[in-house]
Amino acid sequence: MSNHRDRKENAAKMATKILKSRTLVLAVVLGIATFAALACRLYYLQIIRHDDLQEKAVAQQTRSSTITASRGTIYDATGETLAVSATAETIFISPHEITETEGDKDLIAETLAEILHVDAEEIREKEDKEESYYQVVKQKAEQEEADQVREFINENDISGIYLVPDSKRYYPFGSLASQVIGFVSSDNEGLYGLEAQYNEELEGTAGLVVTEKNAYGEDVLYKYEQYYDAENGDSLVLTIDVNIQHYLEQALEDAVEKYDVSNGATGIVMNVKTGAILAMASLPNYDLNDPRTIYDENLAAQLDGLEGDAYQEKLGELQLLQWRNKAINDTYEPGSTFKILTLAMALEEDLIDESSTFNCAGHINVEGWPKPMYCSKRAGHGQQTLAQAVANSCNPAFIQIGLKVGTDKFYQYVSDFGLLDTTGIDLQGEGKGIFFDEEEFGKNVVSLASAAFGQTFNVTPIALITAEAAAVNGGYLYEPYLVQQVLDSDGNVVYEHDSTPVRQVISEETSERVCALLEGVVDGGTGKNAYVAGYRIGGKTGTADKTGTKTEDNPQGDIVVSFVGVAPIDDPEVIILIALDTPSRTTGTYPSGGNMAAPTAGNLFAQILPYLGIEPSYSAEEMASADTNVPNCIGLSLEEAKQKLGESGFSYRVEGDGETVTDQTPVGGSIVPGTAEIILYMGVEKSDEKCVVPNVVGLTAEAANEKLTNAGLIMKVTGDTSSSSGSIRVTSQSAAEGSEVDAGTVISVQLSDTAMVD
Amino acid sequence: MTREEKQEKARISRIMSKGPIDLPFALLVLLLTTIGVLMVFSASFARSYYEAENPTTMVALSVFLRQAFFAAAGVVAMFVVSKIDYHWWRRWAVPLLGLAIVLLVLVIIPHNPLAVTSGGATRWLNVGITTFQPSEVAKFAVILYFAATISVKKERMKTFQDGIFPYFLILGVISVLMLMEPHLSGTVLILGIGASMMFVGGISQKMVGLGVGIGVLGIAILASGVLPYGQSRIMQWKDPWAYAADEGYQTVQSLLAIGSGGLAGLGFGKGRQKLMYLPEEHNDMIFAIVCEELGFIGAALILALFCFLVLRGYWIAVHARDRFGGLLAVGIITMIAMQTFLNVAVVTNFVPNTGISLPFFSYGGTALLIQLFEMGVLLSVSRQMPGPKSG
Repeated sequence: MSNHRDRKENAAKMATKILKSRTLVLAVVLGIATFAALACRLYYLQIIRHDDLQEKAVAQQTRSSTITASRGTIYDATGETLAVSATAETIFISPHEITETEGDKDLIAETLAEILHVDAEEIREKEDKEESYYQVVKQKAEQEEADQVREFINENDISGIYLVPDSKRYYPFGSLASQVIGFVSSDNEGLYGLEAQYNEELEGTAGLVVTEKNAYGEDVLYKYEQYYDAENGDSLVLTIDVNIQHYLEQALEDAVEKYDVSNGATGIVMNVKTGAILAMASLPNYDLNDPRTIYDENLAAQLDGLEGDAYQEKLGELQLLQWRNKAINDTYEPGSTFKILTLAMALEEDLIDESSTFNCAGHINVEGWPKPMYCSKRAGHGQQTLAQAVANSCNPAFIQIGLKVGTDKFYQYVSDFGLLDTTGIDLQGEGKGIFFDEEEFGKNVVSLASAAFGQTFNVTPIALITAEAAAVNGGYLYEPYLVQQVLDSDGNVVYEHDSTPVRQVISEETSERVCALLEGVVDGGTGKNAYVAGYRIGGKTGTADKTGTKTEDNPQGDIVVSFVGVAPIDDPEVIILIALDTPSRTTGTYPSGGNMAAPTAGNLFAQILPYLGIEPSYSAEEMASADTNVPNCIGLSLEEAKQKLGESGFSYRVEGDGETVTDQTPVGGSIVPGTAEIILYMGVEKSDEKCVVPNVVGLTAEAANEKLTNAGLIMKVTGDTSSSSGSIRVTSQSAAEGSEVDAGTVISVQLSDTAMVD
Repeated sequence: MTREEKQEKARISRIMSKGPIDLPFALLVLLLTTIGVLMVFSASFARSYYEAENPTTMVALSVFLRQAFFAAAGVVAMFVVSKIDYHWWRRWAVPLLGLAIVLLVLVIIPHNPLAVTSGGATRWLNVGITTFQPSEVAKFAVILYFAATISVKKERMKTFQDGIFPYFLILGVISVLMLMEPHLSGTVLILGIGASMMFVGGISQKMVGLGVGIGVLGIAILASGVLPYGQSRIMQWKDPWAYAADEGYQTVQSLLAIGSGGLAGLGFGKGRQKLMYLPEEHNDMIFAIVCEELGFIGAALILALFCFLVLRGYWIAVHARDRFGGLLAVGIITMIAMQTFLNVAVVTNFVPNTGISLPFFSYGGTALLIQLFEMGVLLSVSRQMPGPKSG
């Protein structure tokens, strides 16, 4: 019995022991291991995967709508607005809704057509697309038009017409500096020019409203709303001055017309001491407010008769052509304008000086080249001083100078003047010149000989003007630039251009000597047509063959005529480059830089220098024809009037026989050339009759003056006024023949030596 | 006082336990219930508000108030039950098991007007004032019956005839009935509870080895996806993002909620996934909202509370006065442990998705009431633990 009880007790003890130990096993498995596993899992999801999962969650939980930022304004150096954004509205219809609500389709089409200046038929067609919910009637309609549409909707209680706010870019100056400013896409994204280059600064940052939504897509407004302000774009203040830009464009347009330039023209006006671009123009150009229309008549004519794809293809090609900024995108052979640099390097290296002489027999033989290289004057310039060689733009002389420099040094200077690279101007698409490979260049002197007078290699106009500015400004190479300041939307300056020279290429002393020699080019040399009385101007002409354009029909080939001018040459401020691509050979003017580009630059200097406040200083001879203030003689006796006019150097003639001067032409206070004749009326009425402008083009200065004075007008001269050459003629006049003007009006005439060879 | 009254009082005092309840366990239960009810409030009000025809504050609070009411009633029930000597329940073991089987049969009778179908499964019975799952009754019935019978078998548990066969039969019948609902997670849970109690009850080591082997093999077969049933569920488990628009939607939304919680969470009440993105947000998926709003810190803390509760439960089981009390405690706490694990594992996509609620948290008045009743039974066991002095 006891045995049995013992066994039973043992069994009970055993069972209890098992129960306790196995419960502990369960506790470890279900109470510790499982929870540890879950904790790891949570750590993985909540900590390691947190960013990833949160991003996905937020993406589904929120709705964000953007607030467009206003694009910055572009100002010129004087504060004029060149590009500005204004609100506009895009108007669209929902044909489906119009149909559903049984709207009067004809009324809608006609009214919208009238308000928005769109074809009613076109709108009617869109309305008939009854399945569509979205048909744009007009993009970026003006505010005024949008208001009228709104009124129409309200008055007639129409459904299915919608207006969406948008923004439109306006260019108040139209085509002015079009290639520089550039334009934007319909999404207000900069496409060309500064609009593209500075798109990031101009466009600003779009704002964002984030609202929380539930799974049904409803806003949960009471929860939270995050608002990120739109940051309006920055504004640009350019170095471009609208007045100088206007002068430049006018001068180029005149030149293109006068010389029948068939391949466009370009010009740059730059501040020599900073690299700031005061004006940059390219022809053909276009209206920034409608950049897709072809403006140049000759180009537009190429579209005549084309249809479909051929039309579109040609249109695209012509658009690209007119959008092209030839001043930085294209390269050309600089020709003789490059001689400035050859001169500068030879002077810097002490290989020549002002006492050096050069003989020109009209040609020169260069080692390694089978044929002689010719001078533009086949007869030869004979024995010349350095100054004469520069003024004559003598090729054999410059070949000799180039050979003295040698291939290695020449190459090094070309590099130092920045011609092997882009200038870094803040515009997109800057081209890079094409120069010889260094090793090839050093193999013989043939390439050097032609490079010394600017042929057989290409540069961009911007790179050339930048290099030549360095040759005349004391030797400092600057990076050319267009944006002086960037302003934030509150007008604070966030960026200011720092004009620090990239390097000094030649010494200040050498630079001064280069300037002195260049003055001789305008003062009686090949560039004399650029002369402006009262100003000391230096420069260099250039006429370069366009390689590969000689054909049977065109045996002489096409040329690019150009001029680089600097003023005032004793302390240079402004440098101008004018290049005319392919002028006609049949306008009566011999095609050369001196005959075509130099007078264009001369006209420009005559406008720009006074505008920039650079005071003229006349030599004794110039005094006579310098602009002078006409004294007021009304009320004076003849004697008194005579004395007063004499002090100012004016001649006079008298009408009538009264005691005192009752009237005069021109009136007192007007500024006319000192050579003008003042008419004093003594008691007789001044004639009310208008004077008819005679034609003086083709006459000598003396003949023109006589003819204009007889007509009651006053002549003002620009260009080559030195009367030493018999071939100097008037090449243009400021008022057209036959036009009627007041008596005493100043007529500007351009004098040019029409037989100039660079 | 009449004689009858004296006898009645003596009888009641016999079945009433005298010792103190286990305070840590009771406090953990109260803490988890309180947090759970508050989370139901946070998780439910958005949908209650948005989906109501006439949204008012009262409507938005309806789910929370109902849950709070059942929680209060459940806590009262828990303390009352804890006073009842757990041995009193022994006599109900067989009738309750019988009732459970009858209820399970009722649920699966086709076209039974009382049976409620939701989400493709018929697991609920409608008894007028509330609906409840017969499987909740079945779980407690199995625990009670197993504890009552295993506790007296001792040595005989090692035999197949007494230790395995009857239980195998009971679990088999219940499993078949539940799988017909179908209710896979409930079946797994009951099998797990039953197996744990048999293990603790002292079945032979050979059988333990066999059971573990069958269990591991079963899991391996399910996970490999070779079975035609549940294959798509395995695919969704492995890459829920590929099914984010349809079958994987719930899992993906749950992961998004958990992940966006991060370390510290969005703050109580500030979750966004409950704005109708996450289905079952105050129900099976409530733990995802916990993770989103309270972050890893909060979620881990709540898991820790569950962990302490489970360990304290097993501690009570080990220190129970007798085998019946110990087995009862093991059954009840194993149920809580397994259900917690499975729910959190489903919500975190640690195991394939299956409908299983989180004790004390998931919305469901009857279920909460039954859970708290079971906690009362466990606390009753704790009252009779021998004091430390007496060994």
